[in-house]
Amino acid sequence: MIDRLTCLLCPIGCELEVETDGERIDVRGHQCDKGPDFAAEEVLRPKRNLAASVPLRGTADRMVSVRLSDRVLRELLFPILAEIAILRPAAPVRRGDVLIKNVLGSGVDVVATRTVD
Amino acid sequence: MTGREFDVAVIGGGPAGLAAALGARRAGTEVLLLERENRLGGILNQCIHDGFGLVMYKETISGPEYAERLIEDVDREGIKVETGAMVLDLSADRTLRVNSRSGYGLVRAKAVVLAMGCRERTRDMIEIPGDRPAGIWTAGTAQNLVNLQNLRIGNEIVILGSGDIGLIMARRLTFEGMKVKGVFELLPWAGGLERNVRQCLHDFSIPLALSTTVIDIRGRDRVSSVVVARVDERLKPVPGTEREVACDTLLLSVGLIPENELSKRAGVSLSAATGGAVVDDRFMTSAPGIFSCGNVLQIHDVADWASLEGFEAGKNAASFARDGLPAGEKAVRVATGEGIRYVLPQVIRRGIAGVDLHFRVTRPRRNVWIEGRGASTGTTLFRRKFPRLLPSELQKLKLKSAPDEDLEVSAHD
Repeated sequence: MIDRLTCLLCPIGCELEVETDGERIDVRGHQCDKGPDFAAEEVLRPKRNLAASVPLRGTADRMVSVRLSDRVLRELLFPILAEIAILRPAAPVRRGDVLIKNVLGSGVDVVATRTVD
Repeated sequence: MTGREFDVAVIGGGPAGLAAALGARRAGTEVLLLERENRLGGILNQCIHDGFGLVMYKETISGPEYAERLIEDVDREGIKVETGAMVLDLSADRTLRVNSRSGYGLVRAKAVVLAMGCRERTRDMIEIPGDRPAGIWTAGTAQNLVNLQNLRIGNEIVILGSGDIGLIMARRLTFEGMKVKGVFELLPWAGGLERNVRQCLHDFSIPLALSTTVIDIRGRDRVSSVVVARVDERLKPVPGTEREVACDTLLLSVGLIPENELSKRAGVSLSAATGGAVVDDRFMTSAPGIFSCGNVLQIHDVADWASLEGFEAGKNAASFARDGLPAGEKAVRVATGEGIRYVLPQVIRRGIAGVDLHFRVTRPRRNVWIEGRGASTGTTLFRRKFPRLLPSELQKLKLKSAPDEDLEVSAHD
């Protein structure tokens, strides 16, 4: 079977052609050595990062933006978003602070992407 | 009024302006960085998604992180920063009229870097007929409201235009529990990057309808629906293809326009193709000592490239502040030929090799040659084959040798 997909790792967005034949995966069209691993992952178990923005505890609109420390399986995005939705970090928050460690046992953390004093 | 004096004044503290201030400072000049918002970072502050920094920092980070890293460098390096400072006027002799927290005053600079960024095209500019209800925003305004002000902008969303901000917002609003009913694009191809079509739309089964536009907006107080229709090759709506889509919110992601009001005041020549200044290979505009970089010069699809342009423009502004303009400079002009929307820089000084040519194609192409030929002799100066080029992608190509006649750049199968 041949899949066509766009590599998501950088803005170049290489057009990848992935041929799967049982266990074997052939990848064409990548411009860097990360392409084949991405393609295999994308065909079998796609992973994504996510970003959101939550208010500081006790405020309505002093926002801290967050993301995941690494990409997770795509089906975990909405369960993790539900955890982030109830997050109300207390000031001060530094960029890189871990706000939820190992969120839902995914192995990745929810981290602050902004410093708010 | 005598005013304050600086070697280099940078207008705008986003990804390009921050880098320009650093570039000028590291070249040993006294730098003033002016930002009209209350904090530095520009549009990066509301771009909370990741994908920034791959070129600058070799890792993928979010907009706010990218901004903070640049701002920390600016703080460390002794650059004079004024936020809440709006430049009201700029003249060709590099006098700035500034309304700042300490009041109105003049700034005189030996060199100026323009880094004011861009604005979004609005409903009025694309002339959508219909009612005038609440619930219509540009995608970037929605991004600001949602990410920085914690507001819920609606429940059922339609997005007109497939620019990157619109695609990013389709995903963001889906994450916030809103229903994005579709993205409609006038052209037969997406305006944003392929990766964003995939990870922001396909991932969430949000339909993208190409060659389709919004022809009517309905609603009394609030948007209640829009009418969409297919368009033909001349981009005219095809009768009989209309369909009504119920929604309470319409976002527009229909293009960005460099914000060059100050450049015009200073008499800087602008390009109709880019909407930004005409510049030479050091990013200097037609007004000597005034440089331009980032989205005020050309719309970038990656912030890192705006910053790289900023570093260069800042460094070159510092040289100008120190040495002025060398006597007897000669230059060649770079024109756009068939299949090319624009090429930048539009001017290259004679004897300068290694210039990066930025360009965009007019339509998607496969296995296409990009060629630069001498305008008078027809000699080919460079020729390079690209497997695939899209209008949504700003491309770079290095000119190895120094052109010694005017050039025309074109695309061929």
